[in-house]
Amino acid sequence: MTFISDTYYMFLRWMKKLVRNPILLFFSLFQPIIFLLLFTQLFSSFGVLLGVNYTLFATAGIVLQNAFSSAFQSGTAIVDDIKSGFLAKILATPASRASILLGRLLSDAFRVFAQSLIILVLAYGLGVFPATGILGYILILVTVAFFGLAWSGISLALGLRTKSAETVFGIAGTLTFPLLFMSTALMKPALMPAWMQSVSAYNPISFAVNAIRDLIMTGYVWNSFSQAYGVISLIAVLTLGATLYEFRKVVS
Amino acid sequence: MPAVQVENLVKTYGDGTQAVKGISFKVDEGEFFGFLGPNGAGKSTTIKILTTLLRKTSGLANVAGHDIEHDAQNVRKLIGVQMQDTVIDEDLTGRENLILQGHLHQMHGEVLKERVNTLLKIVDLEDAADKRSAYYSGGMKKRLDLASTLVHRPKILFLDEPTTGLDPQSRATVWSYLKELNQEGITIFITTQYLEEVDRLCRRLAILDHGEIVAQGSPSELKSEIGADRITLGFENGNPEAGALKDKAKQLLVNLGGITEIVDSDEGIVIYAKNGGFLVPDIVRAFDGAGIKLASIGVSSPTLDDVFLKHTGRRIRPEEIDKSRASGMFGRRRR
Repeated sequence: MTFISDTYYMFLRWMKKLVRNPILLFFSLFQPIIFLLLFTQLFSSFGVLLGVNYTLFATAGIVLQNAFSSAFQSGTAIVDDIKSGFLAKILATPASRASILLGRLLSDAFRVFAQSLIILVLAYGLGVFPATGILGYILILVTVAFFGLAWSGISLALGLRTKSAETVFGIAGTLTFPLLFMSTALMKPALMPAWMQSVSAYNPISFAVNAIRDLIMTGYVWNSFSQAYGVISLIAVLTLGATLYEFRKVVS
Repeated sequence: MPAVQVENLVKTYGDGTQAVKGISFKVDEGEFFGFLGPNGAGKSTTIKILTTLLRKTSGLANVAGHDIEHDAQNVRKLIGVQMQDTVIDEDLTGRENLILQGHLHQMHGEVLKERVNTLLKIVDLEDAADKRSAYYSGGMKKRLDLASTLVHRPKILFLDEPTTGLDPQSRATVWSYLKELNQEGITIFITTQYLEEVDRLCRRLAILDHGEIVAQGSPSELKSEIGADRITLGFENGNPEAGALKDKAKQLLVNLGGITEIVDSDEGIVIYAKNGGFLVPDIVRAFDGAGIKLASIGVSSPTLDDVFLKHTGRRIRPEEIDKSRASGMFGRRRR
């Protein structure tokens, strides 16, 4: 099956590129660390308000926040490939078309997986250990990676459509904070203004955060877990659909 | 079976621009085929269509015996494509670039490893093979790019301006690789602005202008169509009466007859005439009798430059290509 091997070679290429760009590597590792330390310290008194250990509460939010902003780098990478002509070069080979996109998406998912692992290790140092134990860790990482993959699709579609890294960055920057703060990532809905509570209830980030938070703070909660997978799957279908649509246009 | 067969190929872009207006041509297997034309003539568009990177609007095109639209996957297996801009992944080493290309052509293991070693040797990149290609010179990058199109032993090689932007030495190296590849039986389809090399290497060529083929044939056929040799007469430098001398000389030439055209040039006078060689003694005799001294006299057959000029009304100036070059596949290279 050439689709699988092609995807693997594409994935491998992106991983090499990541490792060989020390600045990119540094920042993609540095970012989650900063988020964890900064947010949990800054908002630690919220814990009193919320009646929980805030570090324990916010870890899920920070893991997701990191995945969200990390996913947006995908689009800028494809813009580089379009501009350099490398995409055309690959398209002139018999390589499976879908593998070109999937290889990139999987490399994004893998990066988010690694970053999340770092956050969880650091969080462990701050006293965070999931109620669900080791299996919980695995479930958290897989869920976040899936989440990252789904959101990478938006950035890829934007990159393919606009062919401008600046635009992708601009849109990502504008979206990240409103979506983060109007979700359950850093705050319980009960303490939000009413209108924001309704936004938060439908915010896709909230669903993923709730599922991971339950894994960390409560245990296995089937309801939040299935809802999160439902929402992420829906996002994945929509964003990957958009990506494929834009990709077809570029390819022809 | 021809390597490339194109019939009434049309490409109209979304904005209504007709880049290719129904062209037809054929490239035989093993041929070194030149595809020439001024900037914006539709050369790159045609190459992109033939290499399955762009969809045609109408017409028929077969490459290596496969229909480019319905059998694109088989076409891709048999062709190598070098774009206008040098395209390599600069984060990867030279070797990794080649291995990636091999992998995408379903080559693996020892076979691929050996093929890559051979190619690195051929393009003289053995020593730099495991260095990041970002640190390569322009010529090395171009050679790596060329090698990367050859990993899977393509039957047909499409090259869009492969030597543009290279220094003369690297250029000569690339041309000699291409010659060797062609001698090994690979069909070469090339666009270039370097007409001397076209004259030397291409067995046949087509000239494209405004999306239409305005001439095709072998270099010698096309040159003989010009129907006249060029005679260049040079006068002594610094002669204060040069102007008057030229007028007098022109008068004599008109009286000689058999001349198609007389043109002023910086060095003296250029004459176009059939069988120019036979005219030279007459010119010398006439000038001698009139006391006009010639510094030089030269007869040359028409060049492809003359052919190009005749069919497109423009001259190709390779040194200007870099500045005015049309964009690549999806735009210009960033670095």
